[in-house]
Amino acid sequence: MDTLLLARLQFATTTSIHFLFVVVTLGLVTLLVGMQTAWVLTGNPKWERLTRYWGQLYVINYVLGIATGIVMEFQFGLNWSGLSRYVGNVFGAPLAIETLVAFFLESTFLGMWIFGWHRLGKGVHLALLWGVAITAYASAFWIMVANSWLQHPVGYEVRDGIAHLTDFGALLTNPSLGMAFGHVVSAAMLVGGMLMAAVSAWHLIRRTPDFVLFRTSLRIGLVTSALAITMVQGFGFAQFGPVGAVQPTKFGQGPEGQALIAEWTTRFGPGDYTPPVLASVGLGFMILIGFTLGCVWLLLPLLFRDWIIRLRFPLWLVLLALPLPFVAVILGWIAREVGRQPWVAYGLLPTDQAVSPVGAPVMLASLIGFSLLLGTLAVTNWVLLARHAARGAADPALGRPPAPPNESTHPEPALI
Amino acid sequence: MDLAWYALLGLFFAGYLVLAGYDYGVGLLLARGGGPALRREALTALGPFFLGNEVWLVAAVGILFGAFPVLEGELLAGCYPAVAGALVGVILVTVGVQLRSRPTDERVRARWDRVVMIGSALAAVGWGVVLAALLQGVPRQADGHVAGVSHLATPFAAAVGLAMVALVAVHGATFLALRLSTDAAAVVGRTARRLVPVALTAVALATVVGLLSARVRDAVQRPAVAVLLPVLLAAALLAARAALARRRPGWALAATGAALALPVVLVGAALWPYVLVSTTDPGASLTVTDAAASAPTLRLLGWVALPLLPALLGFQAMCWWVFRGRTDGRAPVYW
Repeated sequence: MDTLLLARLQFATTTSIHFLFVVVTLGLVTLLVGMQTAWVLTGNPKWERLTRYWGQLYVINYVLGIATGIVMEFQFGLNWSGLSRYVGNVFGAPLAIETLVAFFLESTFLGMWIFGWHRLGKGVHLALLWGVAITAYASAFWIMVANSWLQHPVGYEVRDGIAHLTDFGALLTNPSLGMAFGHVVSAAMLVGGMLMAAVSAWHLIRRTPDFVLFRTSLRIGLVTSALAITMVQGFGFAQFGPVGAVQPTKFGQGPEGQALIAEWTTRFGPGDYTPPVLASVGLGFMILIGFTLGCVWLLLPLLFRDWIIRLRFPLWLVLLALPLPFVAVILGWIAREVGRQPWVAYGLLPTDQAVSPVGAPVMLASLIGFSLLLGTLAVTNWVLLARHAARGAADPALGRPPAPPNESTHPEPALI
Repeated sequence: MDLAWYALLGLFFAGYLVLAGYDYGVGLLLARGGGPALRREALTALGPFFLGNEVWLVAAVGILFGAFPVLEGELLAGCYPAVAGALVGVILVTVGVQLRSRPTDERVRARWDRVVMIGSALAAVGWGVVLAALLQGVPRQADGHVAGVSHLATPFAAAVGLAMVALVAVHGATFLALRLSTDAAAVVGRTARRLVPVALTAVALATVVGLLSARVRDAVQRPAVAVLLPVLLAAALLAARAALARRRPGWALAATGAALALPVVLVGAALWPYVLVSTTDPGASLTVTDAAASAPTLRLLGWVALPLLPALLGFQAMCWWVFRGRTDGRAPVYW
């Protein structure tokens, strides 16, 4: 095995795991903002209980998002030092902005939000959650700016073999950015909505207490999913135009693609400049899942007089459909990232020139180590998520009121 | 412009070591026994700050990538095992602390606490070795790449890694002396004072090994600054001990925090104008200016960072202010 393949495998593993957690984070935090805002505006305790229950699941999910995110950030330097060397002047800027503008603040706000229940004023506490959500979206935006630059490098000039930034505005108006950002954000909303609907459906099937609570979150989840899937489809198909124009080799071979490959062959020497077939297979299945999930619109009329709950079988459909959006986001990511091969920066830097000159044994040890570690932690995290989701909204540890002052012993947290 | 960004990089990495340093210190102290209640108290004291502390590392690496792309690639890839080890440690602590209270079984929680302990030790050793690698130079070749990873395996790197573990342990104990309820704080304050001689010994050992190492002597550009480092470290540790003895844990924490920030500042100063000194080819040493991104990138990042920095530091300060003071049975508990 060569270093390049090992480094690519490691990047694919880490990013896939990371992506599964960040889409849930982004989707759930948006719904949480809605629920906590409703609580502050109406004062109805139902919204507080919903915020605490879904907030706890959100926070458990966040743990792996942060852990895999840190690995991702370091991996650029560890495994892809050629990337920082040749295009770091341009590609590094949006990543640096992401860490400062978004991630740093997001975590700071979230820490205060988790521990701020019953300690901060309601308004300040709500503002913190808004801060978490806004910075989460900013984070997604800057990461997509960085990724879009790799898909279609713009706003730079090469001097002495190194790319230098000439026009930062071009990075923000990159044709491969706009629709893709909308696509990813609506996919996150779809995942968040489907997760909420499926967990609620499970509780309604089991007839656990808290009927009113889970009826509400089922409705929120389904309506969100329906709106989101339409946006996912819209932004998805809208991408074919701009992405096909700037990456002619991505969706199979047209005359433009042939011409580009001929040009690359003269500039970079002969080689295989077509992306692996895996990319288009992923794209096909993702579109299939996208159309299937469009059927969520058919469930909406059943919300009338709770027919969806009385009939029960639609609840099973919602529950069983839960893996689909997760599979789709991974396939979509494969289509976008594998589809730009063999380039790390399309038409500018071949992938094999970006990999770090470390030995294969070191890279193999790193691949096995991080894959096992992150894989184990991901499974552990999902088990914990499932258990807490099943436990119901009776008394989540998040936002539990402090013990009354006259009580001498304070209770252990997070029990039951 | 280069210098300003180099200073900012130093600020964020030093901030990370100071803030996450007490996370790791508390993590190491979970090993001292005393049962679930004591561990619960220690984690409650840490709670509100934990997420805000770890992100200083993320910001530091973001600045490293944006403002010093060449250094980022060479430093991280060139110190692969140390960085990967520290990273595994950071992940274990991050995940362990946040998930340990989710299971209800006390035995499962104890197992998670061991994960946090191991992670804390790994992170401290890993960053210690990275700092040592800077001080002893790396085999950077004329083609700009660092050759191999065996250059890390030196007695000096091991000694600095151990010294880092001792420093974060003292720092963590001092943090608990400041945050825990008065009775528990007195106990952990005594632990902190007992750990100070251990840390002093570890720093002295690293100093002696460093002075004996030809690589360190060759790589250091300003010997006076390098010698100042252990002296100031010892002074900070003794000051912390004195403050703990006088029941002034706030001053003690400032002193142990300084002990964790000083290595970053003085390693940077001792190597100036270089940032990576080559042990094999003097011409291949990397200066700060060579390592920095080109001027348009730094200008752009400057315009972003200038208005942002007060906000970043302000919201962190807000977090410290909101959750200041000692914990009691009624403090918000989550992990």
